Amino acid sequence: MTALIILFITALLSLFIAFTKKPWMVLTVASAGLIASATALICESKCANMLQFEGLEFTSFAIFYGVIAMIFAFLILLTAYSSFKETPEHTGDYIGLLLFSLCGALIMFAFTDMFMFFLGLEILSIPVYVMAGSRKSDLRSSEASLKYFLTGAFSTGVVLFGIAWVYGGTGSFKLAEINTAIMAQETASPLVYVGMLMIMASFLFKIGATPFHFWSPDVYDGSPVVVTGFMATIVKLAGFGAFLKMFSMAFGSLHDFWAPALGFIAVITMFVGNLSAIKQIRFKRLLAYSSIAHVGYALLTLVIQSPDSPFNLMAYLFAYGFSIIALVTVSLILNDEEDQISSFKGLARRNPYVGFVAVVALLSMAGIPPLMGFFGKYLVFAEAIGEQPWLVAIALLNSGIGVYYYLRIVILTVQKPEEGSPVVSKHKVPALQWFVLAVCAAAILFGGNMLIF
Amino acid sequence: MELLIIPLLFALIALFVPKQFLRYYALIGGLVSTAVAVGHVVTYVPADLYVSVFDPNWASTFGLTYKMGYDGISLIMIVLTNLVTFLILLSNFNGTLASNRMFTSMVFFMQVGLLGVFLSMDGLLFYVFWEISLIPVFLIFLWFGAPGRKADLIKFFIYTFVGSLAMLFALMMLKVGGSGFEGAASFSWEDLMKVQLGTTSALWVMGGFFLAFAVKIPLFPFHGWQPETYVKSPMAGTMLLSALMLKMALYGMMRWMLPMAPEAIESYTMPVVVLGTIGVIYAAILAIRQKNIKRTFAFASISHVGLIAAGIVVMSYDAMTGAVIQMVNHSLVAVGLFLAAEVIDRRLGTNEYENLGGIAKQAPRFAFWFGAIVFAGISIPLTSGFIGEFLLIRGVYFYDMTWGILIGTTLILACVYTFRAYQLSMNGPSKNFNFPDLTWNETAVFFVLMVLIVFIGVYPQMIVEVIEPSLKTLLDNIHSSQNIAH
Repeated sequence: MTALIILFITALLSLFIAFTKKPWMVLTVASAGLIASATALICESKCANMLQFEGLEFTSFAIFYGVIAMIFAFLILLTAYSSFKETPEHTGDYIGLLLFSLCGALIMFAFTDMFMFFLGLEILSIPVYVMAGSRKSDLRSSEASLKYFLTGAFSTGVVLFGIAWVYGGTGSFKLAEINTAIMAQETASPLVYVGMLMIMASFLFKIGATPFHFWSPDVYDGSPVVVTGFMATIVKLAGFGAFLKMFSMAFGSLHDFWAPALGFIAVITMFVGNLSAIKQIRFKRLLAYSSIAHVGYALLTLVIQSPDSPFNLMAYLFAYGFSIIALVTVSLILNDEEDQISSFKGLARRNPYVGFVAVVALLSMAGIPPLMGFFGKYLVFAEAIGEQPWLVAIALLNSGIGVYYYLRIVILTVQKPEEGSPVVSKHKVPALQWFVLAVCAAAILFGGNMLIF
Repeated sequence: MELLIIPLLFALIALFVPKQFLRYYALIGGLVSTAVAVGHVVTYVPADLYVSVFDPNWASTFGLTYKMGYDGISLIMIVLTNLVTFLILLSNFNGTLASNRMFTSMVFFMQVGLLGVFLSMDGLLFYVFWEISLIPVFLIFLWFGAPGRKADLIKFFIYTFVGSLAMLFALMMLKVGGSGFEGAASFSWEDLMKVQLGTTSALWVMGGFFLAFAVKIPLFPFHGWQPETYVKSPMAGTMLLSALMLKMALYGMMRWMLPMAPEAIESYTMPVVVLGTIGVIYAAILAIRQKNIKRTFAFASISHVGLIAAGIVVMSYDAMTGAVIQMVNHSLVAVGLFLAAEVIDRRLGTNEYENLGGIAKQAPRFAFWFGAIVFAGISIPLTSGFIGEFLLIRGVYFYDMTWGILIGTTLILACVYTFRAYQLSMNGPSKNFNFPDLTWNETAVFFVLMVLIVFIGVYPQMIVEVIEPSLKTLLDNIHSSQNIAH
């Protein structure tokens, strides 16, 4: 609870400090706030006399997921700083919105009843709608914002409706009570099933699973690249965390009912994501489709209900997030207006360091050992192989398809420039982005061993 | 452990060595690592399962143990890897790549990956090294390959990667367990071997391993990536691929595929023998029809390895011994043949038969050494190929007469395509070109190869003594777990 309050105050502060028009001050305050908040969050399990609130419960699940979200948010702040400070008067807005959204994410990891869940969802989403449209003069950014907002508002309606149905069937908003109510009934009330499916659909929308994925390529593509990174890491982490939490705590006893449906959705999500990504020429669109594919893999942790699921899911998204942040940073450094994949051409020759991190991040996403992405994938797949060998076989096949488009960029990156191609000058790498790349590369290269101990 | 660390250090330092010293540095690196490996052979004492070289004993619920070790079979492969790497660097000594830091470093990295594969006694570690070894050869292909290679690059990578994923599937299944059987306690080789698979799951597991190895060997329907990759890679890449990388797969069959799922061996023997035989004949016919010398040798490679794969799965002691000897022989011959193709390519800039002919008159030394390698390639007695192929064909023959006879045609077909390659390039009227004879380093490579080939051919005991105890233990282990299953 303390962590949430600190975070909220930091967000407010950064809005006000922006009046000084000194971007570095905003960044310092926000970073300090994030670190303080993370410390408070870690304290939650160890210290006595922490603030308590019935609706939010900071279990180890919430703490782990929360800390990871904060690490990601911190890295995104650092990497985005160079583009934020171009408009000093708005730096506070951007950073404030980002932190508000993070508050929502924290709530989504810690909720114990449907009210708090809904609050978290809204606090998470609304700042992202605004951030998606933050490049006001850019038509595509506005389109992304509007599209995300409309579809998001619709899915919010669906989830509310679903919560109402579940309330009708069980008479409670609390996860634990819903579960006992379902267990107590001999056959669960049809109201619960309808409500549950509605909630599930809304979750699938939030994480961008097929057939609710249509918004994500357009929104990812249109938003500023930093916001794309934010959506692909923190929003996804929050969506998945809450999904897992609600469906194991409230609807765990109906697992046999919803798991096959989710398994089917996982399979089509993988195929749609991977096959659509093959032909993309714009980098952010490719990231969007590849992230759809990754959602498909990560859904396996929900299909198989085991005590390790939360950890495996976290490991997977952790590994995935570092790759995304590294690639977002590389994309910022490339600074290509058209955002073409071809802007990666010869990157390793021009900026060996940036090129190296890009290659490592891409290979990690493709799941090449011994990088972190491989271990994330391994944990998820190994959990599922005993019960669902076919599902794992399909997922592995999809990893094979995925290699194609990652490899295409890798080849572009490390390729020698062709004769007569226009000379592209060396990109400037700001110190903060250099640092972010170093953190990501270190995590991807050596983090895998950490995951498995 | 020094087996792995020395090449790794050489690979890293190679990135900073001044260009004019790089070629000497590379040779020293190759020599040192070969010497270390030979030292291990000399001091090798057969152990119960294997000689452990690294066992950190880290407790991990995940099960990755990082265990490394070697027995006789791995030791032979390790010496072979280091020796062939040295020969590749030596044959490149005068080439343009010799003063390229990335190239030298990548060759050493490749060596690290391969040694890791041969040393791993942990399933997941094996998989990790297996994938790592793909990266350097891929980069060599990407950076130094022939024009128009992009599609082939991706094809090569995806073929092998999908195959590897199948192996990952098998490993996961062994570790985690499934319907009707308990998973292994850890990924260490011993633990994985103890798993008692059910009939269906054994088929799955062996199928996974088989797919990975079949792609890399490559066996008949899985060879789509191979010819173009061999032809468009720079010579060093082709040598690494044919002489070493496919040995990873054959070694993997012995060490991982057969012991892990002995319950399914019987269901897989016949298909592999059939695929191997088809590959032998089909690739030989293609090799005969090629218009390009490098392409001929690429298909020749497919043709030769089909026999080794078939020999391994019939699981007799003699055939296994033959397989190991033939693996060594195939590496040596492949280096020789591809070097011959490269010698021609370096001097004339072409490998098409229509532009070649009459080289023997201008370059008698080259004609002699190329001829010697050609004879080694068709396995005449007193060369190592004779011992290997004889034992392999005999093994397949005793398993099934018809297929044994069919697969034995390799001896005749090999004569046709290798002699044809020699004839069309070396003999006949001289075309209008100037062909300088071999340089000292090229001669040295041919010399070392021929000495080894003849020595093994005359005295195969040298290899047999090292591998005999390990092979017997391996086969005993497989047979005993097969008996439990029945």
